[in-house]
Amino acid sequence: MNTSALLAVFLFAGALLIVFGWVYRGATKSMAKGELSNEGIRILRWGLLGHVAIFVVLAITAFLT
Amino acid sequence: MGIIPPVALVAALALKSLYFLDYVHVICGGTWTGFDLYMGLVMTRILRFLDVPARVEVSKRLTPTTFFIIPSLAAVAITSGIYLAQQLGKFNLSDPWILAAGVVVIVLTAQGFGVFLPNGLRIFLELAKARPDGALIAKLTMRNIHLAASQAVFQVVIILIMAHLAIY
Repeated sequence: MNTSALLAVFLFAGALLIVFGWVYRGATKSMAKGELSNEGIRILRWGLLGHVAIFVVLAITAFLT
Repeated sequence: MGIIPPVALVAALALKSLYFLDYVHVICGGTWTGFDLYMGLVMTRILRFLDVPARVEVSKRLTPTTFFIIPSLAAVAITSGIYLAQQLGKFNLSDPWILAAGVVVIVLTAQGFGVFLPNGLRIFLELAKARPDGALIAKLTMRNIHLAASQAVFQVVIILIMAHLAIY
């Protein structure tokens, strides 16, 4: 197992979660104000899921080297 | 479509094929550079002459298309590059060329996570609103396009570094 590769993937995934969390907070505020519907939150969740899927596959590579 | 590059990388590593790994690295890096050059050099000139509603229409189609594929290509180009350098015995952190590649990769990654990703998400959210702010969407789209131009410059630099590493 390539530990440094796995750590790098976790580091990048962490950065991704921070960015999504920051935008999610803004989206929930907009939703509370009535500017944004559930559709916006649904898009965010799908976006997060898509990016997490990419990182999960990348994490698998750490076990192949 | 964004899942294809990491799956190709998994396949290359599972097959233990250096040739396939090299191919994945070159195709992902080349496509990523191509995207950025196209965005920076071509799309900037096109969007500059469009009015705000037209820019919003472009953004509606451009943002979902590039939202997954560009980060995926970037992540796989970088990861496969590190694996390739390790397998070729070139991953030496005291080598100034490897360090230079690392610095450029850090800049590109910081731009990706710090600007491209949040801007893409904000465009999506604005488009999902009942009354989207067209001016904001156009501004965020132009910011991403201009940033792509700066990424293209960094990528031209990293290709120069890669060409050196491949030969020496």
